[in-house]
Amino acid sequence: MENYSFDVVIVGGGPAGLSCGIKLAEKGVNTLLIEKGRFCGSKNLFGGVIYTSSVKEIVPEFPEVNPLPVERAVAEEGYIFFSKRGVVKLLHTKANPKEAFTALRAKFDAWLSEYALKKGLLIVPKTKVIDLKINHSQVTGVIVDRPQSFDNPKPAEIEAKIVILAEGVNRLLAERAGLVQGPFKPEEVVLAVKEVIQLPKEELEKRFGVKENKGLAAELIGEITLGLPGTGFLYTNQNSLSFGIGIFLSTLVDLNLKPYEILERAKAHSYLQELFKGGEILEYGAHLIPEWGIEGLPRLYGKGIMVVGDAAGLVNPLFREGTNLAIYSGLMAAETALEALEKGDFSEKTLKGYEERFRESYIYKDLLLFKNLKVFLLKNKHLFDTYPEMIYEIFTLYFSAQGRYKKEIMKEILGIIRKKRGIWGVLKDIISWGRLFW
Amino acid sequence: MVKRVNIDEKIGATKFFVDEEYAHLKIKSLEVCEKCSSKPCLNFCPAGVYRFSEGKIVISYQACLECGSCRVGCPFKNILWDYPRGGFGVSYKFG
Repeated sequence: MENYSFDVVIVGGGPAGLSCGIKLAEKGVNTLLIEKGRFCGSKNLFGGVIYTSSVKEIVPEFPEVNPLPVERAVAEEGYIFFSKRGVVKLLHTKANPKEAFTALRAKFDAWLSEYALKKGLLIVPKTKVIDLKINHSQVTGVIVDRPQSFDNPKPAEIEAKIVILAEGVNRLLAERAGLVQGPFKPEEVVLAVKEVIQLPKEELEKRFGVKENKGLAAELIGEITLGLPGTGFLYTNQNSLSFGIGIFLSTLVDLNLKPYEILERAKAHSYLQELFKGGEILEYGAHLIPEWGIEGLPRLYGKGIMVVGDAAGLVNPLFREGTNLAIYSGLMAAETALEALEKGDFSEKTLKGYEERFRESYIYKDLLLFKNLKVFLLKNKHLFDTYPEMIYEIFTLYFSAQGRYKKEIMKEILGIIRKKRGIWGVLKDIISWGRLFW
Repeated sequence: MVKRVNIDEKIGATKFFVDEEYAHLKIKSLEVCEKCSSKPCLNFCPAGVYRFSEGKIVISYQACLECGSCRVGCPFKNILWDYPRGGFGVSYKFG
């Protein structure tokens, strides 16, 4: 590779980088996307659910595409509260299942990259960006871990008017560009470990009571994480299940816990044991979820540079948003890049437009709204241990009340609440939960 | 509290393209590890990359899932963290 020069270089081929690249390629911008994995998606892992409305922004015909890059339409969605002895399910059947799909990122991202190629985006995989080219604090390109040419082993340099960092949660280049002050802290990220468990299609549909091409997306709360702040997740794919747990890294560090042992113990829960029986583990993986929120938000732009997706920490853990926010941020960066190219100005003056677009969006407003969430969850451990147990005990009483005077049952239920959390405790929790948002 | 899990067996299902010529994880100073009493890396690393053997921490970077936990989870920031070279390292089939 020598004397390469592009209008825009995008680092990272996940949904943020690819959406940005697709938008730019459609407008005929000379864009290069660099991906360190063997193909786009090979390094990416999520729960996960993909939202149709966000994919439609880049692929208008989705989900009427063939082959379908997603697994099952989310027909049933909700929460499963895990007590040591059993579960309480809160599931909602969706009127329009095609709003969301379960998906596997190695397949979905790869499909999106194929789509991007057709739109004219140049993608170079198996290439790592090792540094940024910076000239008088203006980012002017990237340096990659490939030789300049056959006779020059020096790392190749690629010129760019704008560099867009879609490098994911481990935002090494954003740190190098000075857009963030050093690495994030362990309490700002959730470490998720996940298994893909194979089940024959018919067996899966029988066990989960789902119809063909329809599936379940559930968040698991309580004993599943040993009552530690975090959640589990369970999604049905075509012939497999996506199952995992996510716990704040700080908790794992402080308590010296092995995440895969918690995962294994969760799988041994009687409720899951039945569902997973005979399932073959197809893959085990791990990923950090950026939950630093508004406090850890990097500077979204600098001279000749913008940051999108996970690298910026655009995730809403409560509403399971991430890939969609990645797509939206990629599109906002693309719009800003188009404006900059039109003006021929790649200074902060024009690139500030990205932050302005971002601040007008619901993503920023949500980050503001949820600014205290992470601290709240870490501080209110009882949401993860006391409540799921309490809910289970209450329903156990409620559903075995036959043949008894019901006032006694009510008294016993109150007794459980008093013992576990106290009436005042519950009221206090409701108020502090409410105050989180107002 | 929890039964032992063989992480090597678990990670056996995951696909890797091992870079034999470049170890992307390094311990900055073994002395720092010696002084570290809790050694949480031996536990929180989801791939069991960090093991304690013959009185010191040993890294098997070959099975690293590149999650980045050790980069920030090490209490002494004693790990030099990088991605493997382009095309190497973990390669998810499902993700």
